[in-house]
Amino acid sequence: MDWQAFSLSIELAAVTLLVLLPFGVLAGRWLARTRFYGKAWVEAFVVLPLVLPPTVLGYYLLVSLGAGSPLGRWLLDSFDVRLTFNFAGLLIASLVFNIPFIVQPVQRAFEAIPGNLAEAAAVCGLSGWQTFWRVELPLAWPGILSAMVLTFVHTLGEFGVVLMMGGSIPGETKTVAISIYDRVQSFDLAGADRMALLLLLLSLGAVAASFFASARLVARR
Amino acid sequence: MSGGGDARRALRVDIDQSEPMPLRGRFECAAGELLALVGPSGAGKTSMLRVLAGLMRPQRGLIEVGGQLWCDSDQGVFLPPQRRHVGLVFQNYALMPHLSAADNVALAMLHLPAAERDAQARRWLDHVRLSGEQQQRRPGTLSGGQQQRVAVARALAREPKLLLLDEPFSAVDQMSRQGLYRLLAQLRSDLDIPILLVTHDLNEARLLADRLVVMDAGAVLQEGPPEHIHRAPRNARVADLVGMHNRFQGVWVGPSGRAGWGLLKWVTESGGEGEGEAMLLEVRDKGKIKPGQPVNWVVPGDGILLGADGSGQTLDARVSDARHLGEITLASLTLERNPQISLRITLAGPQRQRIANGDRLAVRLDSALVHVMPLHPRPPAVTT
Repeated sequence: MDWQAFSLSIELAAVTLLVLLPFGVLAGRWLARTRFYGKAWVEAFVVLPLVLPPTVLGYYLLVSLGAGSPLGRWLLDSFDVRLTFNFAGLLIASLVFNIPFIVQPVQRAFEAIPGNLAEAAAVCGLSGWQTFWRVELPLAWPGILSAMVLTFVHTLGEFGVVLMMGGSIPGETKTVAISIYDRVQSFDLAGADRMALLLLLLSLGAVAASFFASARLVARR
Repeated sequence: MSGGGDARRALRVDIDQSEPMPLRGRFECAAGELLALVGPSGAGKTSMLRVLAGLMRPQRGLIEVGGQLWCDSDQGVFLPPQRRHVGLVFQNYALMPHLSAADNVALAMLHLPAAERDAQARRWLDHVRLSGEQQQRRPGTLSGGQQQRVAVARALAREPKLLLLDEPFSAVDQMSRQGLYRLLAQLRSDLDIPILLVTHDLNEARLLADRLVVMDAGAVLQEGPPEHIHRAPRNARVADLVGMHNRFQGVWVGPSGRAGWGLLKWVTESGGEGEGEAMLLEVRDKGKIKPGQPVNWVVPGDGILLGADGSGQTLDARVSDARHLGEITLASLTLERNPQISLRITLAGPQRQRIANGDRLAVRLDSALVHVMPLHPRPPAVTT
């Protein structure tokens, strides 16, 4: 069992979630509440990472952030920062890859809140922030919770993008999915078995738990 | 319910906008007075409420409540809903589904410390007669009538200077409706603020309101006490909107021999003047209509009398359709002299027993209640 890979994956998933959650909630709410010309394009870009092959996404990230690219060269020259084949690069890839997983469920959750509740809150004297904290957020919470779980689990199992952007450096970029792949390549099927099963149970457990929690939250209304 | 100068000005509204939807009208409401906005769906009643609540900014308009300016487009004044102290009961109540009834009411008092908020919420919910157990329940588990009461309590907790009710009775059954009528009557005497009620139900409006504001296609057509609007609708559209079924066409002939009275020639929709001699009615003359002018005229239900009494003009009619509904009977009477003309009457009490299809009877119109309206080539109020 490659516990180093496991803890790296969990760290990556946690940091991804931490960074992406505020962005996802604000972007999802904005998309749910705003109508503007070209909104379909914005929504298409949000969904793109979901439909694009991970290797294609990874490839584009690699060529745009790698040391050979203008941006990568500038970052290296000016700040001595490298964004490929390290944890930072992995995190950037993971953030981009998870945008649809967080934004879409959050957007749906905010869309499901009847529009006149915000109006009722305003008439009750609630400011925009008070309405957000006391009305919108509690009502959207089941959707936000499932978005969080999806993003976390999805990051644990991410493979293609991670491989393109991070390679397989133990302790730095070798996540659990890559570790499993490496085991299979070196005919360590027993090791691959154990890790795959653990990942399966962890993912299933997390998703099931979020579904139970959402159902209970919805039923309490 | 005082009609004094200051009280009359408790609410002053003057709205004029053409975009995004036409909304035009001017009315006032005194403190303690209940005003009903009536009209068909799409007449702009709810939009008017939204403008008053500050949820919609009118292109041009003035709203003054209790001497405070809430909106004045000329001065660039527009208070957001948060600063208006307005109580609004939404049509579907708009209660927060994740909060208990008590917490819903407390939400309108966030400026108070939490303990005081809860105590006040309980007090308001007691006031609308919701039991302690019901107060702790979420809206989804309460009946329509109970949700309605929570919405009213929440609106009152805001200590409003203006109370707005959007179709408050549309979604509750007849039993709860009677209870809510009583609640509303009680509120009127307890609160000394203007109350506006939006409804498409005319009976309800007449039952509850001191004055009606009749709206159609975004415009206020007429404002006044229900009996006044019923007796003297400003035009044919108002007559139709307030459910005056006995509206006819005619031509103003001119003064009759008697001072203050004039002659009206009754013509049918198709333009014919009836068989043989023209039917002439002697009605009140306000001296405003020129001879030869085509007119619409209406007679309210209580202006149609059954049976000859030897005085005035008696018309012979036949009952073409009589429907006995519960405690009332609706009947259509066709004039013998011109079968194209029929009168609709509602009967209650002993009179209704005697009516059956095909019966012949004598009908009199109470000339004093006949109201004549000049026919304009175009309806004056409706523009898009």
